[in-house]
Amino acid sequence: MQNTAAVAASGKRMSAMKMKKLEGNVKLRIAQIGFLAVLLLLWEVGARMGWISTFLFASPGKICDTLSNRIASGELFHDIWVTGKETVLGFLFGSLLGSFLGLLLWCSEFVAKFSKPYVAAIGSIPVMVLSPLVIIWFGTGIASKVAIVTFSCIFVSLSSAYEGAMQVDPDLLNLMRSFGASKFQIFCKVVVPSSMTWVVSGFKMNIGFAIVGAIVGEYISSDAGIGHMILMGSNSFHIHVTLAGLVTTMVFVFVLNIAVGALEKVLLRWKR
Amino acid sequence: MDENVKLEAKGIYKEFDEENPITILRDVSFVAKKQEFVSFVGPSGCGKTTLFNIIAGLLEPTGGNIYIDSEQTTGTVSSQIGYVLQKDLLLPWRTIEENVILGLEVRGMKKSEAKDRATEYFKSYKLDGYQKKYPSELSGGMKQRVALMRTMIMEPEIILMDEAYKALDYPLKIDLESELLSTVKENKKTVIYITHDIEEAVTLSDRVYIMKARPGEIVREMEIDLGVDSTRMNERRASKKFNDYYETIWQSMGTSK
Ligand SMILES: Nc1ncnc2c1ncn2[C@@H]1O[C@H](COP(=O)(O)OP(=O)(O)OP(=O)(O)O)[C@@H](O)[C@H]1O
Ligand SMILES: [Mg+2]
Repeated sequence: MQNTAAVAASGKRMSAMKMKKLEGNVKLRIAQIGFLAVLLLLWEVGARMGWISTFLFASPGKICDTLSNRIASGELFHDIWVTGKETVLGFLFGSLLGSFLGLLLWCSEFVAKFSKPYVAAIGSIPVMVLSPLVIIWFGTGIASKVAIVTFSCIFVSLSSAYEGAMQVDPDLLNLMRSFGASKFQIFCKVVVPSSMTWVVSGFKMNIGFAIVGAIVGEYISSDAGIGHMILMGSNSFHIHVTLAGLVTTMVFVFVLNIAVGALEKVLLRWKR
Repeated sequence: MDENVKLEAKGIYKEFDEENPITILRDVSFVAKKQEFVSFVGPSGCGKTTLFNIIAGLLEPTGGNIYIDSEQTTGTVSSQIGYVLQKDLLLPWRTIEENVILGLEVRGMKKSEAKDRATEYFKSYKLDGYQKKYPSELSGGMKQRVALMRTMIMEPEIILMDEAYKALDYPLKIDLESELLSTVKENKKTVIYITHDIEEAVTLSDRVYIMKARPGEIVREMEIDLGVDSTRMNERRASKKFNDYYETIWQSMGTSK
């Protein structure tokens, strides 16, 4: 009896600790949101009182109006759809292909060493430099943007996955060999799963590169998309449009981060 | 060749680094008889792990040969050998059960069949109920037990153990060693064991090889008979002969430096 009471008491203490932590988290969130609200409020008030130039800096209210107008007209969703398709497709192509090739390099030291300077050279080309060429080669439609995004993602994933594969404990390889495992078995059962942490971290980095790639592609040539919206806004000095595009980008990246976070939970569920 | 010999190494040499060769192992020869517990003691860096990698067929010796049941196996991995490496090396993304059947899987056994076979091992290794846990949820001692189980489930005739219990605290080490000794005696295995620890070598072994470093050589071979039947470490250690063996090995390690 005493025992169960003690267990129950310690259980209570545990949940009390959890509650405290949760409370702390809630407080932090409230503070963060409050800070943002105050900033936005100051901006809005400043704009209305004429302390801040709405021509150069717009105002939160105007940005909200722009967003809600464009939501109502369906324009915003079309732009998000266009950029989203480019980003997600290019991200998947680039990240998956890059990770696959990077892992595969583990199989041949010769190929890895041989390709190293080429990978380094091509990987060092800034996406801005390559984009005009890609537009010429792939046209002004979605294909060229997907190609740019793929290019932006592939090298990060390739080097991250290869790095992960090379970090595998040589003793693990010895263990597998002592079981009589073939190179293919070692690759599938040890190298690929133990590199997953690195593959996922490549994915995470690529979210940023993918969105940059898509928007840069749209800057160069496009008739829709978030990049197009931002560009049009600033070309015609409609700062509120540009800023509305910026907000949209932030929300979009936020959603992508959540998606990759969910993927991480699945792939690395053995970690805690 | 002696019928009783399970594994024999003849004149093993090993050099690393072709341009500026350093001899790591020089003329190492030894035998492990059937069901014998043979230990190697020697200072760090004398080439014990290198010798094990050669015995296991993971490394080619520069010279010499390995024989199992009088058949030459140099440089090839034999299914008769189970190798427990210096670290537990459990795969963190696999459950304990999946870790235990890793070797069987590599051999091409069906997962369901392998898991069936694992069931009794989980019982006899006192890990029943831990099948679905991940290695991160187990203590160091449990992990070592899983590593041993992963090797034993392959039913090897010869078990190589490279300081498998080094990282554990003393009482746990004593427990696991007692368990090991009774398991291998029961299942009639031949064990070749590496340790730094003279006490451990005397308590566990039927025979001890003492090595020195630079280059790694065997300086002495010693038969051990504590005259105790028990497989409990503390009871074996209480043998009157223990101190003499300990002292002799200590002396030959000291003079070999
Ligand atoms: N692949 C390698 N290339 C070059 N030198 C090596 C290699 N592997 C081991 N050595 C060297 O061989 C020597 C023996 O190493 P080994 O790991 O066999 O020693 P050990 O007796 O197992 O030591 P410890 O007790 O610390 O585990 C060391 O000096 C080590 O630096
Ligand atoms: Mg060693």
